[in-house]
Amino acid sequence: MNTLTLNGKNISFEPGQSILEAARTHGVVIPTLCHLQAADHKGVCRICVVEVQGADRLLPACATPAGDGMVVETHSSKVVQERKMLLELLVASGDHNCLFCESNGDCKLQSLVYEYGIKNVARKSDYVPRPIDDVTPMIQRDFNKCVLCGRCVAACNDVQVNNAIPYPFGRREDKPPVTGWLPVADYDRCVHCGECVQACPVGALLEKKALGKAMTWQTQKVRTTCPYCGVGCQLWLHVKDNQVVKVTGVEDALPNRGRLCVKGRFGYDFINAPDRLTTPLIKENGTFREASWDEALDLVAARFSELKAAHGPQSLAGFTSARATNEENYLMQKLVRTGFGTNNIDHCARL
Amino acid sequence: MTSQTFSTWGRWVPGRGQVPPDKLPSEFSQGQPLKAFMGWDGLFVHDTTVNLVDMARAYMEQARKESCGQCFPCRLGTEDMSAILENICAGKGAPADLDRLESLARLVTDTARCDIGQTAPRPLLDLLEHRREDFLNVIKSKTPVPAGHYVTKVTAPCTNACPSHLNIPDYVEKIRIGRWDQALSTIRNDCCLPGVIGRVCVRPCEFNCRRQRLDSGIAIRALKRYAADMELETGQEPSLQPGPAKDKKVAIIGAGPAGVSCAYYLGLKGYKSTIFEVMNEPGGMAAVGIPDYRLPREVLRGEANQVKKLGCEIRYGVNVGVDITLDDLNVQGYNAIFVGVGAPEASKMRCEGEDAGYQCFMTGVEFLRRVADGEQPIEGKKLLVIGGGNVAMDCVRSGLRLGFTDVNLIYRRTRAEMPADPVEITEALEEGVEFHYLVAPLKIIAENGKVTGLECQRMELGEPDASGRRRPVVVDGSNFIIECDAIVPAIGQICVVDCVLPPEEVEITKWKTMVADDITRRTNQPYIFSGGDCVTGPATLIAALAAGKNAARFIEQFLTSGQSAPEESDYMEKLIAQLGVFYFKEKMPYADSTKKLHPPVMEPEERIKSFDEVEGKVNSASATQEASRCLRCYRIAMAAV
Repeated sequence: MNTLTLNGKNISFEPGQSILEAARTHGVVIPTLCHLQAADHKGVCRICVVEVQGADRLLPACATPAGDGMVVETHSSKVVQERKMLLELLVASGDHNCLFCESNGDCKLQSLVYEYGIKNVARKSDYVPRPIDDVTPMIQRDFNKCVLCGRCVAACNDVQVNNAIPYPFGRREDKPPVTGWLPVADYDRCVHCGECVQACPVGALLEKKALGKAMTWQTQKVRTTCPYCGVGCQLWLHVKDNQVVKVTGVEDALPNRGRLCVKGRFGYDFINAPDRLTTPLIKENGTFREASWDEALDLVAARFSELKAAHGPQSLAGFTSARATNEENYLMQKLVRTGFGTNNIDHCARL
Repeated sequence: MTSQTFSTWGRWVPGRGQVPPDKLPSEFSQGQPLKAFMGWDGLFVHDTTVNLVDMARAYMEQARKESCGQCFPCRLGTEDMSAILENICAGKGAPADLDRLESLARLVTDTARCDIGQTAPRPLLDLLEHRREDFLNVIKSKTPVPAGHYVTKVTAPCTNACPSHLNIPDYVEKIRIGRWDQALSTIRNDCCLPGVIGRVCVRPCEFNCRRQRLDSGIAIRALKRYAADMELETGQEPSLQPGPAKDKKVAIIGAGPAGVSCAYYLGLKGYKSTIFEVMNEPGGMAAVGIPDYRLPREVLRGEANQVKKLGCEIRYGVNVGVDITLDDLNVQGYNAIFVGVGAPEASKMRCEGEDAGYQCFMTGVEFLRRVADGEQPIEGKKLLVIGGGNVAMDCVRSGLRLGFTDVNLIYRRTRAEMPADPVEITEALEEGVEFHYLVAPLKIIAENGKVTGLECQRMELGEPDASGRRRPVVVDGSNFIIECDAIVPAIGQICVVDCVLPPEEVEITKWKTMVADDITRRTNQPYIFSGGDCVTGPATLIAALAAGKNAARFIEQFLTSGQSAPEESDYMEKLIAQLGVFYFKEKMPYADSTKKLHPPVMEPEERIKSFDEVEGKVNSASATQEASRCLRCYRIAMAAV
């Protein structure tokens, strides 16, 4: 069995695991910022560096394979000191002010700054403001808050494979100053899936529809299944005062592992749309009137039974929607086959 | 300011320790002293007048420029360190700046992702430790420090090992991010035949890949081929633009790799050239010496013909020295000449009967040339090839493909001393070639003018010779005869420059090679340049490409100024090579277990049925994966001269 010493404790690990994974398995938290598991994106921020005995430098826990007999310290004074300094540099290099930030309370940088007790770091005096991209209706990109972690780039190119955020990095001298390394979106390719927004660890990428709607701690997260198609993506509805203010993907759940499409992520306005039907309607003398569910279902059941008795089961058919869940679709075919007594059941199989 | 020479160089390799200044290079170029040097392993100072504070500023400024923006400490740290040093040198520093510098330098070396960050602060840390008073003096004086003159070069172990110094970490990175097109542009800056070199390079880079110290090296050659394959597969034409047209023109003798490379880089600068080629196709020995199963002719033709887009005309079937002379070229108004006539003739074995003109006896060079022309040059069942180099491997493997069923190779040393590419040896063995080691040819046996066998003698290995390989010594009384239908000796090639150019005009060695400066490639005639095998004797394709590329630079220099002299960057290159960039004994901070990418190859029984290419294409996923293993071992070198 492979074992290593982690903060003085002997732990086992699976071959191929990184130090980070091995530590997580044993409940030891090593802070990360850039690591994006889904894209195998790692080794950029160096916040997760740890001290490994015998190594002449600190090693990133996310990108260093655990080795048999390794002696690892995740929070030695040297490690903590370097993490602190890195965080100070990071804060000074951008325009980070939680007071004015939509992501206040939901920001990896903020959590780390708090955890490591960073105080009073001013923005660099020669800071040159970076652009804000506000051209699309869905996503706002405020590069002043961007930490250049590359997560959005990996999310777009390696997770969703839309290749709409060209890889921005490269020799500083070959890049234009200020904007050279910014992960700028190519809207000719962008499908507005919002994967980049979900990947952003800070407040640089934001859902525009959610701006100013709620602070992180004012919302309740409700898990549900996306109603748009049969894939069954798992969603978190961020709800405040019974209103959905934002939708994100559930990271650790199948089938989508956090990924969503433009509809699942941004198409939730129908919930509170004023023209949405909230009660059944019955048409009488050419006009609709509101009815109760019992009344409406009784009416439909009675009419179907009459038709079946008069013309046989083949006079009836069912047609279902892809916006219903798999379970609802199953029940519908069961109703048609056993209740109606016919195989006339079909499904639009598309939106 | 403390006035003493000192060195912190040499701590990288465990056990080696610091090298004293007098053991380190002190000359930059002939007669020009090297005053101080900063690099990946510290610094050393010979001349105490060098302002090391200013040099540290310049070095960090370079590191700042090289930083790629990916990892946080290097991106942020190099910028801040550079700004602090600029401030100090502007006479505006404060003593507290030094503590800040030290903390930043430690952070960056300790935590950066690649060697730009891990190595660039080393000289600064050394200076802060040993020469802190230099900084304090500058700070106290509150006056700006004049900027010194430094020569800078960015290299890497792989880049340094490559004769043409390709920027390998850069194109590998571009493949990693899916930009094979950009990778190809980087490759073409230093190598005009990516698909060719991507197939047959002897890859000194891979033998100097630092990842080998961690697990296994990067498949650099295969990645280069991948980029070239993608261009062909997607039907894209390389976007080559000749430079602004110049009114001078250059004659190039030989359309081999050196000549094509020279024409290519001259074309990029806007110089028109004419290549005179004795054969009817481009590529020289790469065309007629490397069989199609390793290098398909259309790949070579396609890439070599790119020079036509750059204002180069290739005249085939012209035998310089016979059809046209040096005087004719001068009369026709060529302002400079590049000679790249290679090493096209076979060496003698000094074996009885080799000049007797026996049927079924043919030199490897001729054998491969005829095979390349689509002929069946010799027939029979049992073939005997003599030699242990790549040409010998090409001969045995071609022999199998021509229908010989019993193919044998004799070599007078053992497999360990064989100069052939290990991959070639393995593939020949897989295909069924029988190797006979420690056997030397003595006499060709023939009946009625046709080969029937070879008398051989056994050898044993003695003391190492000049090449470092153990010298084979004859075992007395061990003579024996190998019966065979055909014999192909492939023991080396020689140059015949005297047949091309008049020896009274150009300096030629007794080995019939050209005498040319190893940097400028200029011969004893200021307007004649030469490079490739015809200068060095048989060498590698990439070395020939490098020679052609470099010659183009110095030809341009000659055409614009009437002179050609090495540039500072050339001396820097030599200095770096002298210091050594790849440390074979380096201890890595952890162990990894990733595997080198091996491109798919055809099964041995299938591949001997035809001359179809043995190695297959690498797919994008594998290429990206392989590229992500690169450690980006960039190193910044700076010399004060």
